[in-house]
Amino acid sequence: MTTTAARTTTYAWIVLSAITIVSWWLAPGHAHGATAVASVPITVAVIVLAFIKGRLIIQYFMEVRTAPRWLKLFTDTWLTILWAGVLAIYLY
Amino acid sequence: MSSTVSTDSSPTAGTVDPARPPRAGKRDVWLVFWIVPAFYTAFGVIFFALARVMPPPRPDVTVDQMVHFFHAHALTIKIGFGVLVLIVGGAGISNGIVVYHMKRMTVGSVMAYIYLGSMSVGALPGCLLVAFSFLTAVYRPGRDPQILAMLYDLGLLSYVGSLGCFSTAYFAFAVAILYDKNEIFPKWLAYVNVWQIVTEVLTVAIFVSKAGPFAWNGVNSFWLGTVIFGVWLVCVIVFLKKANELQPADEPPLD
Amino acid sequence: MGDLVAHTEQAAGEFDTAATSSVTSAEGRVHLPGDVHMWVMVLGDLTIFGAYFIIFMVFRARNPQEFLASEQHLNINIGVLNTLVLLASSWFIARSVQAARADDHARALRLTYFGGLCGVGFIAIKAYEWSAKITQGYTISSNDFFMFYYMLTGVHLFHVSLGLLILGITVRELRNPRRRRPFMVEAGATYWHMVDLLWIVIFALVYVMR
Repeated sequence: MTTTAARTTTYAWIVLSAITIVSWWLAPGHAHGATAVASVPITVAVIVLAFIKGRLIIQYFMEVRTAPRWLKLFTDTWLTILWAGVLAIYLY
Repeated sequence: MSSTVSTDSSPTAGTVDPARPPRAGKRDVWLVFWIVPAFYTAFGVIFFALARVMPPPRPDVTVDQMVHFFHAHALTIKIGFGVLVLIVGGAGISNGIVVYHMKRMTVGSVMAYIYLGSMSVGALPGCLLVAFSFLTAVYRPGRDPQILAMLYDLGLLSYVGSLGCFSTAYFAFAVAILYDKNEIFPKWLAYVNVWQIVTEVLTVAIFVSKAGPFAWNGVNSFWLGTVIFGVWLVCVIVFLKKANELQPADEPPLD
Repeated sequence: MGDLVAHTEQAAGEFDTAATSSVTSAEGRVHLPGDVHMWVMVLGDLTIFGAYFIIFMVFRARNPQEFLASEQHLNINIGVLNTLVLLASSWFIARSVQAARADDHARALRLTYFGGLCGVGFIAIKAYEWSAKITQGYTISSNDFFMFYYMLTGVHLFHVSLGLLILGITVRELRNPRRRRPFMVEAGATYWHMVDLLWIVIFALVYVMR
């Protein structure tokens, strides 16, 4: 296996980890005593980031990027329905 | 002892299309097989229409409402569960034929016996306890409401609640399918068994939940679990039928 | 009667290979990692969990203040740590698949061990998190949010445990020179990445969103 694949995998992992650390700031759990307030922009950001993270794992770790088309279609559809559904219910 | 399934059973094998092997199987096994869908159809009628256990009545009701449930459905409970205790042998038959085909796998018999043992142990708490609880509840009109409430809880908690014996059976079935070189069942059926285990894990919360998605009538504990069980049951019945068909009629008897 | 060990050793042959792709991976070529059966498992499990996630959101929408207030009691540091640990484990496993393809089985084995170790670490951290929450008085019966919290992370934990079992099978595959079938290593990795993927969703829905 060429080192290109290794590098791509590692970049994906670094991006995933970076997004995770960003989530630390967005989370309400460390508001240090102050009561967290619901926030639509933050939640939308969280949803978008989670969609991106999910797609990175699917495409790069699970190698769906080089998989048959039906698999690409299924996984993208799953991601879309899940996060669109979450967003729709949240905003309703 | 298990033997590799012979693929050439017919004297005129030269004309056999490997994609569509001739319907074969043994007559006695066929007879047993057809009992399985018949039993589960009856089971469905009993639990859905007669005993009113599926979907279950709510846990978050008053004692009076529980008493009313038994009064309202006393007749159909007696008919439904009365029939169930007569025909519940169908569960044993269903388990038996699965075990029969599991013993034809190359993994040997130990997984089959785990399946048989676990499913058999599960039959009382998982199916019959609700029948006996409800039959007892409607046996004497005017029974103390507190006792009726207890029978209501006992029946529904035991029926809907998680049962590790079933999880064990599903696990044994999954392992056997994955390691079987005779391909008695398709490999993906092993994973349907894993989903069944997932639903068992999910259902453990009914013992601490009185309302909502994790109560015994909740969408997570009951509805999703029932849907996945339905998928599992249909797949098992369909592939039992296929296993029957693919079994050469002259296959030697199992040990 | 044979016994299971003897038969599985004798079956040094196969899981069903009929459905596997015969193409070993190379850039630009279409390849289904693992085998179609494992993908039935993964896609089916994703669908089932998808339903659980949507159901969570529906119940959250009925009581958003309570859910948000309860969410604040979760330890975000542990949540982030757990996520990073699982992401790292997936990286190890992805790299181990690449090593296995390059026939560097010693390396693949090592990376699988590291991935599994991270998995064990995830479980340990989760156990600590649960016990901390319980000690603080947040149990499964505290409210709807906490019931979802324990149930979602619990059923996920079951998947992690199963994943460790599957990684164990991968280790066994890699250690035996007569096996080392690429599709087996890939299938195990696919399952493991699914575990990671599910956690990403749980982390977002239960720890981060507001």
